[in-house]
Amino acid sequence: MTAQANALEIQKLDAFKGVKKVTIEEYFTSGHRTCQGCESALVMKLMVKASGPRTIVLGSTGCMYVANTTYYTTPWVVPWMHTQLGSSGSAALGTAAGLKVLMRKGKMKKEPINVIAFCGDGGGVDMGLSAISATLMHPQYNLLILCYDNESYANTDIQVSGASPWGANTTFSPPGKKYRIMHTRWKKNVAGMLAAGHPGCRYVATVCASYALDMMNKVRKALSIGGPTFIHSFDPCPKGWDYDPMYSHELGELAIEAGIFPLYEVEDMKLKFYGKTKKIVEGRLKRKPVRDYLLRQGRFAHFTDEDTDYFQKKTDEMWEKWILPGVIPLRPEDGA
Amino acid sequence: MSTTAVEVIYRGIFQRTMAKHITRGIVLAARKEGKVGIAFGRYGDSPERNGIPAKQFAIVAANDEELQGSIAKYEPTEVDVTIAVDDALCKGVESWAWYGLQPVNKLLKENGTLIVTSTKSAEELIPHIHKKDVAYNLAIIKGKASFSGLWVYKNDHTDMRMLGALPRVAPHLFGSPALEAAIREEWKDDLKVASAEKSFERVQIRKVKPDEGSPEIPFSFTMPGWKSMEEGLVVRAIPLGGHFEGYDGGYRPERNPYFKKFTTRTMRPVVDFAKCTKCTLCWLQCPDSCFDVTPDGYYDANMEACCGCGVCEAVCPVDKCVTMVNETQFEDNKSQWEMWTKDKNGYAGWLAKKIEHRPERSHGFHHRGQYEGEKIEQID
Repeated sequence: MTAQANALEIQKLDAFKGVKKVTIEEYFTSGHRTCQGCESALVMKLMVKASGPRTIVLGSTGCMYVANTTYYTTPWVVPWMHTQLGSSGSAALGTAAGLKVLMRKGKMKKEPINVIAFCGDGGGVDMGLSAISATLMHPQYNLLILCYDNESYANTDIQVSGASPWGANTTFSPPGKKYRIMHTRWKKNVAGMLAAGHPGCRYVATVCASYALDMMNKVRKALSIGGPTFIHSFDPCPKGWDYDPMYSHELGELAIEAGIFPLYEVEDMKLKFYGKTKKIVEGRLKRKPVRDYLLRQGRFAHFTDEDTDYFQKKTDEMWEKWILPGVIPLRPEDGA
Repeated sequence: MSTTAVEVIYRGIFQRTMAKHITRGIVLAARKEGKVGIAFGRYGDSPERNGIPAKQFAIVAANDEELQGSIAKYEPTEVDVTIAVDDALCKGVESWAWYGLQPVNKLLKENGTLIVTSTKSAEELIPHIHKKDVAYNLAIIKGKASFSGLWVYKNDHTDMRMLGALPRVAPHLFGSPALEAAIREEWKDDLKVASAEKSFERVQIRKVKPDEGSPEIPFSFTMPGWKSMEEGLVVRAIPLGGHFEGYDGGYRPERNPYFKKFTTRTMRPVVDFAKCTKCTLCWLQCPDSCFDVTPDGYYDANMEACCGCGVCEAVCPVDKCVTMVNETQFEDNKSQWEMWTKDKNGYAGWLAKKIEHRPERSHGFHHRGQYEGEKIEQID
């Protein structure tokens, strides 16, 4: 790519070959005020474990800002800065551009520095989407935007976001006696949308921290491929989903095994499934019923059989009718 | 009496609905006697996080003027009754950064009452509670701590049992007839009235003298004001951490010194190092980075950082290698690995004893019908 000639050097981050090879140091440490069993805090920890010490992290408003850095304290070892709810994209782009200029002018030592901006699903899937989209159109800057998706505005006590699943109980969609299902929209397909629509973006991936090694290696790849990249992380939330915190890991696995959240990476517009999702796509693993996943959570406790059947039907459609299973929902007219 | 203040200390999210019922019930009952009152949650606890100690208050006064004088406060400076709905809170409360470890009886007035739900006796609980320089009462309502989640409430009447004890420990707040009328009107359930009545009879009260309790000096901090903050509100990053003190190897991360989070624990992991295969999963999957990597390559859960979520037990592939046991079984936060390296046989015996206190978990929703089963047990 010609734009790359213009770009700064990139850190070479090879994949960790096995859990024993993972960096021992913590760059996001203890003392954050998140819930017990917070999977998003785990994502933060693994994200910077993967990126290493020469990293700048920018965080838009959400649990990972408010809970982590309570009043003049921090759990971050690497430099971290808060940015506004909708501006993870702009902050990442601005920081990458700023570093580039400072180094060009000799005001900073020339060295490759990772720039990561994170956003929640409220900040990324809803508010910050346009800025993320704009940022992914600028191939001359190296940066990663990571969206930690806990399927609601969890920080402000669980309001519906564009990433909330159909039918879930939230502060904005409490099930009532007359109307049981108050959230009637299907989850926004943000990774697929960003991957399909941004020719300047070389890498988009979906991850789940239940598969920590895969997750970290996707972060390393995203940071070392060059240009702007995007990762969508699926994070079980014990508070908003209402389950026992000890099962954060298990619920992540269940969502993947039920085919609700597919794991894939899109590198230079080439799609590759991985992990359990790959086995599902290749027909080597049968998808678990979504029921097994839904009925473990208090947010779906009001579901009747009719509702779980509908959820199953919509999930089946993702795999059976979409032109790219689980990724791109477009399909030819006669297959509709 | 001018005003009477009651605080409810509870586990964030897990007991939020219950705390609301208790504070609301207090005000409704007081109104039945012609008093006025207000129930509110502490602003700083919002947004609540699973397990992190939070507070709600109920203030009752004889008239509007007295009430007004007491409510324009962020948190009352002293209370007549403290209700702790989980006995692990007796070890202290740390709700956020700079808050320090605050004794559960900190706000309690002289001769006030601390009500705790517990299956333990007063003699077992008092060593956990910090000493106070004035006498107070400890009231125990027998029962397990009742946990549920944000959406599905475990209606096991723990809230009614707490309310039922109040006319006994603080008769000036309201009498039993007022409480019964309020419960009947608000919750329309005779069984709930019966639960409150039973609790009135059964609550066990014991005087705690000033020299009784834990002698520990709880850690505290001076919160920086804006004048002592750095330009641009810069917060210094946490240093990287390094080897175990006195060893060549291992890794212990530096941690946020101003928020330790361990009072969030209701259960703690105990590790059977003899069974450990060093698979790394507990260390890697811990959201709180609480595992120190020991010089010999084991993973030691640091009890100054562990918030007791239980993920380590869930991901550990070896049977009974990591086990979550009741927090109230422990007196200190000492390193388990150090104990094990010093005396392996002694540790095995200690571990076997601790594992006996492995209760059923009920933190949040597990499956449908789960709460119905537990309800009967609490109501008896």
